[in-house]
Amino acid sequence: MTAPVAADAVISVRGLVKRYGDLEAVAGIDFEVGRGEVFGLLGPNGAGKTTTVEILEGLRSPDGGEVTVLGHDVRRDVDRLKPRIGVSLQTASMYPKLTVTELIDLFRSFYQRTRPTAELIDALELGERRHAQSQVLSGGQRQRLAVALALVNDPELVFLDEPTTGLDPAARRSLWDLIRGLQADGRSVLLTTHYMEEAEVLCDRLAIMDHGRILEMGTSDDLVSEHFQERAVRFDRLEGLAQDELAALPAVVSVKQDDDEVLVYTRDVGPTIGALLALADSRGLEPKNLGIRRATLEDVFLALTGRALRD
Amino acid sequence: MRALFALTVANIRSYTRDRAALFWTLAFPLIFIFMFGFIFQGGGGGGGLTIGWVDEDGSQASNQLREAFAAQSGIELVDATKDDALAQMQDGDVSTVIVVPAGYGDGIAAATEGTGGPTTVVVYTDPSQSEATGAVFQTVGAVLGVVNLGGRPPLVVPQPETLQTENLNFISYFVPSMLALSVMQVGIFAAVPLVADREKLILKRLAATPLRRWQLVGSNVLMRLLIAMFQAVIIVAVGTLFFGVEVTGPWGLSIVFIILGAVAFLALGYVLASFTKTEEAANGMTSVVQFPMMFLSGVFFPIEFMPDFLQTIARIIPLTYLADALRQVMVGGAAFAPLWVCALVLTAWLVVCFAIAARKFRWQ
Repeated sequence: MTAPVAADAVISVRGLVKRYGDLEAVAGIDFEVGRGEVFGLLGPNGAGKTTTVEILEGLRSPDGGEVTVLGHDVRRDVDRLKPRIGVSLQTASMYPKLTVTELIDLFRSFYQRTRPTAELIDALELGERRHAQSQVLSGGQRQRLAVALALVNDPELVFLDEPTTGLDPAARRSLWDLIRGLQADGRSVLLTTHYMEEAEVLCDRLAIMDHGRILEMGTSDDLVSEHFQERAVRFDRLEGLAQDELAALPAVVSVKQDDDEVLVYTRDVGPTIGALLALADSRGLEPKNLGIRRATLEDVFLALTGRALRD
Repeated sequence: MRALFALTVANIRSYTRDRAALFWTLAFPLIFIFMFGFIFQGGGGGGGLTIGWVDEDGSQASNQLREAFAAQSGIELVDATKDDALAQMQDGDVSTVIVVPAGYGDGIAAATEGTGGPTTVVVYTDPSQSEATGAVFQTVGAVLGVVNLGGRPPLVVPQPETLQTENLNFISYFVPSMLALSVMQVGIFAAVPLVADREKLILKRLAATPLRRWQLVGSNVLMRLLIAMFQAVIIVAVGTLFFGVEVTGPWGLSIVFIILGAVAFLALGYVLASFTKTEEAANGMTSVVQFPMMFLSGVFFPIEFMPDFLQTIARIIPLTYLADALRQVMVGGAAFAPLWVCALVLTAWLVVCFAIAARKFRWQ
């Protein structure tokens, strides 16, 4: 596995290792993030994503390897790094009794270079809640506040650790728009997530992590097509069609069944579907919710680890 | 500096929006003061005034003066030599001493003929016993008014002298003690919110900004000192306005001790918080430590009333010295230890606790 070298890297990680006692939370990883890029660390809980990000933010010290962020060595130069980065931690709690405006103003006092409070409130769509104490904000508002606090110093590089975990779909989508906006402003973003859809939608490139290692790295399309040339024909689970019979259909590579659905992976969708419908028809059956699916990052993760991402 | 002040303001806002915390900050010492103040207000003086009478003149005029005083209702005169009378005042047997100096009779005669200025009688009072002092000068004024017969210039004028006695009335003893207790609580609980912020990962988030740790601690200390000063003003105001406590000592020195005490207890609070993981644990631990201190430090009753082994503990705990120092400075209370010893003990606690907390306090 080789890390593609970006021309102008804002993050450069070589052989990063972090141990907690006997546990190797990060077991020697390499990657680079280019300027203006949205880079994702995708993996299940405990994969080592947060540990990696917190090392990059200067919150933890690495046990091995070279880590450079915006040209600063995170071991020696963290004081000069902090003014230039924006950070949103996994747990986005803040002083509960301070209002949105007060918190933004407070964080602005920590930095030399800042954006106006009103501008941040507008950008994060917190206008209606500007005088609300942070303890009464909804989950989505709280996350937006966390992002606002990460942007007070107009940072070149923004770290977002699981920014949409626990949010409802609408709140998640609104945050996605926001993150795309960061990129449009010319900022670089490193985000972690265990939602493969989020990684697919937002990230220019991503690294799939598990047990402290990077398993694969690249664009979402590259990762999927590298592992799955074929597409899947899917339909609701149907009694009366044996797995052997499905596997014997033309162009079929493999067949997967669970309690809900059947997935027939094929190199050529047309002949497979034709033969499938003919076979079902001959038994007097009809496949329900028939569809064609491209493989997803979820499938890639499953193929790489034998486990589903969200378990 | 900007960050330090912004964070201090943020802390104060959080604090004042926490109604329960605010209530206890103000109500706790006041409840005690009012409760004990009303309980003990009725007792003690009993209305009567016992005066040590020292006649160094032995003339007819001085005898007349004695009778004039004796004729006042509620006055009991105890004849003694000056040394004896002042000793009795120290012991609390008499609340004031009046000395008629030798030459009093001649002085009156001279003043009557207009060949000399007014003569004097010396009146010793204890400035910390404001109620008694007021009554004494009222009586003295009434009696001398009769002697002077409105004559102008007056024949006799009182010459006030003060004598610091160890006989504080209870409320005078209690008000500076309550102030010390409040200062302790403001300080010792200061680290608990920090533990809560650590638990909520707020400290971690702050660590990702350029904010320095000294700014974080500094804002916590600043805010707590402000609260301590605020409490001091309220406690002293209530003591003065409602219970006639007379704060005689220099304000500057009181403030120095309030700050020294608050900072020492802050450091102790950080030490206690260093050995706890959660806000609840920090709260519990701090309560467990402060509660016995409250009762063993002479805040509610003088240390001499306690058995020897408890007195030994009292000699160790910092609240003893803060309360003692504040009583000495503010109302002229009897010294348990000299002021410099109080300052030294509090400083020692501060240094030791600071050293431990600096090493042990966990930020993440």
